[in-house]
Amino acid sequence: MLVIVPTLDARAARAQSPAAPQPGRFEVAIGSLWTGHQALGSNDANETTSAGGSLTLFSTSSDLASAAGLEGRVGVRLRRRLEADVEASYARPPLRIAISNDFESAAPATATETIRQFTIGAGVVWYPPYRVRRGSRVAPFAMAGGGYLRQLHESAILLETGRFYQFGGGVKYLLASRPTRPLKGLGARLDVRALVRSKGIAFDGGHYTSPAIGASLFVRF
Amino acid sequence: MRRSLALALVAAMVFGSVQPALAYLKFGVTVGGAQMTLKWAQTPVRYFVTDQGVSGVSATDLQAAAGRAFATWQAVPTASIAYQFAGFTAAAPGRDDGLSTLGFRSRPELDRVLAATSFVVDAATGTLVESDIFFNSAFPWSVAPAGEANRYDFESIALHEIGHLSGLGHSALGETELREGGGRRVLGAEAVMFPIAFVAGSIAGRTLKADDIAGISDLYPDGDFNQALGSISGRVTKDGQPIFGAHVVAFDVARGSVVGTFSLNAQGDFSAGGLSPGPHVLRVEPIDDADVESFFEAARTVDVDFRVGFIDRIVVVPRGGDSGEITLRVVRK
Ligand SMILES: [Zn+2]
Repeated sequence: MLVIVPTLDARAARAQSPAAPQPGRFEVAIGSLWTGHQALGSNDANETTSAGGSLTLFSTSSDLASAAGLEGRVGVRLRRRLEADVEASYARPPLRIAISNDFESAAPATATETIRQFTIGAGVVWYPPYRVRRGSRVAPFAMAGGGYLRQLHESAILLETGRFYQFGGGVKYLLASRPTRPLKGLGARLDVRALVRSKGIAFDGGHYTSPAIGASLFVRF
Repeated sequence: MRRSLALALVAAMVFGSVQPALAYLKFGVTVGGAQMTLKWAQTPVRYFVTDQGVSGVSATDLQAAAGRAFATWQAVPTASIAYQFAGFTAAAPGRDDGLSTLGFRSRPELDRVLAATSFVVDAATGTLVESDIFFNSAFPWSVAPAGEANRYDFESIALHEIGHLSGLGHSALGETELREGGGRRVLGAEAVMFPIAFVAGSIAGRTLKADDIAGISDLYPDGDFNQALGSISGRVTKDGQPIFGAHVVAFDVARGSVVGTFSLNAQGDFSAGGLSPGPHVLRVEPIDDADVESFFEAARTVDVDFRVGFIDRIVVVPRGGDSGEITLRVVRK
């Protein structure tokens, strides 16, 4: 468990430690991104009744299953506690359509395919003026960003495009620090995010949120 | 042909057979041993209206309601067919005079036929020369904007028959139940081209559905039909053997629309065009909501001995292309 406590005297701490939360101006990272299940909505196959109403032939409910993928990121420190990132990710989440409630009592079924999902985006990372303890290698941060989403169906014959937004927080842990050398640091990052995807594979074009966990290794220059 | 209570007979029997184009049911004609799709070579299709009305529907009412139904088909943006009212005529529909005519005729002996469409085809060339639609005046009719209880909505029935006049056969996108006195009652339909009409008083049949739009566009493609939309194709098998006459329904999960087709040859092949790009769910079912003869010639052996089922993969329709071969395996009842 990680406990974050505010420093007793931030001004004094800054005076004693004028350096940024972690050394280096540039950061390059690669790791994995696990994205949780994402509901995509429901839709019924309807027929029209003589009164102009609906008769449901069958119902469907769609979702994108959880999946682990790859994520890469390049960051640059803009200010002492602020970084800007560009990032890209790739994953292959299964798309599932559960079919039920058939008018003629067909057995419930699930139709599936595997989507290839690419994202490219940008964001900011902010290090709050708190520290776990003086001299700690752990730097907590908050993050927010967004970008473009491309989802390619299994047969590679149709591309869906959309957007994503994400916000969350995490920690970076410095495994090695060499402030005077060109390669200034090596570390690990762990974060938890809320990932909002819109359009793309979402059948109604709506916004759908799912949890995501990122884990990566980074180097600093 | 539109039946009030079912027991349908498909007009294709009269004029040849269902065209083996593997997409929707179209009328076909055999010329010199070769199958040709029955369709109008030139548009606008000129039509006349008989100058005789019936109780509640004057000749002018008939012309206006038929005009609305023609306009509904003509308004399909992805289809090129057009129609033109050529005038009133004293001639009744059904006369081989080279003029396509719509009008009432009293046929009380056809106690389940609301209306029917007939064709005159040049046997040497396969060219469609004339198509007449008769509306059976033995039934009560209405052209009231909101419909009238116990009277059949003329515009709805005309819309169905004009689909035939344009070359479309029947769609199986409907659910029915047997009536105690015989025939079937429609519980729901998602195609104007379903062979059985809604109950008297209903005006639900005045609007074309995705299935009708795909069918007419497949027959008379226009605009960006071929570029913007896509198709599915494949075959239906049971115990490893292809089956004929299985009803395949494609559900567009994003748009909520359904389009139906059939396996239409000895290899069990099916296809459907005019589908919106995106993921689809495919359902396959036996023809069990109308008589098989509503869709196919009586001589064809249609397999109805299998369970309703779904394919376990999502079928993706590409933009301007085909899904690629899909195999739908059905299980004996
Ligand atoms: Zn009909």
